[in-house]
Amino acid sequence: MRDYPLNNRCAFPHPDASGAGASINLAPVKDGFVFHVLGDAKSDEAALRQALAKVAPELGDDVRKSSPGQWFWVGSIAVSDVRLAEIQAALTDTFALVDQTHGRLRMVLSGPSSRTVLAKGTMVDLSTDLFAIGQSAMSQIGHIGAMITRVEDDSFELIVLRSFAGSLWDELQHMAAEFLTG
Amino acid sequence: MSSLVKCPHCGLRPKEEFTVRGEVATPRPDAGAEEAVWFDHVYLRDNPRGEHREYWHHSGGCRRWLVLSRNTLTHETSEVVDASTLKTGGAA
Ligand SMILES: [Zn+2]
Repeated sequence: MRDYPLNNRCAFPHPDASGAGASINLAPVKDGFVFHVLGDAKSDEAALRQALAKVAPELGDDVRKSSPGQWFWVGSIAVSDVRLAEIQAALTDTFALVDQTHGRLRMVLSGPSSRTVLAKGTMVDLSTDLFAIGQSAMSQIGHIGAMITRVEDDSFELIVLRSFAGSLWDELQHMAAEFLTG
Repeated sequence: MSSLVKCPHCGLRPKEEFTVRGEVATPRPDAGAEEAVWFDHVYLRDNPRGEHREYWHHSGGCRRWLVLSRNTLTHETSEVVDASTLKTGGAA
């Protein structure tokens, strides 16, 4: 648990100056939470979803697998320290939670060109038939480690370590330059 | 080297996502084994022409240690498994 309160401050210098173009848009996800969930070797996603639905139904069960027995659990509402402690207490025997809300940022790259832009940086095949909505991949965009999740048809959410977020943001602007207007 | 590696957890990924540690050494000798045996285990490595088993870390993906079979001649990779599957009851 945290020893001191954390300020949730956006890591981007100009968070609203997202590269808006006709076919591409980049926007930070400013609210919500990112929890790293760790299970043991036998834990599985169905059991995790079941546990979350029971313990914290108000937070949803948007979990994204990063590794065997490890997930990122994300949601759009803020979770207090007290509530987090309650959830952890209820999950104790099965899953451990680490609050990463301050450490990992989310941003959404969307628009008809989003796939083309991401393909410049990642080698994961994001074709519609291979990378379904809701699917995630822990990979790299250029040299920056990032988790890519397809959240909608032409919309990808990226989870990146906070200290790399500014660089990835800039890099994506360059990658999207050909689609930007004005 | 072959440029795509099939991680058992992540699927086909480019080799740039991996860190290669090197040969999977012989099982660890007993604590009281002769000095020559330990010297061999710690320092001496084969440099085979053909099939080679290596530890690869999927540092840019699932961050699991994998054991990969690679042909040093053709650079073809065959079997890739999670390193935890190598654990055997008897080995220390
Ligand atoms: Zn992997």
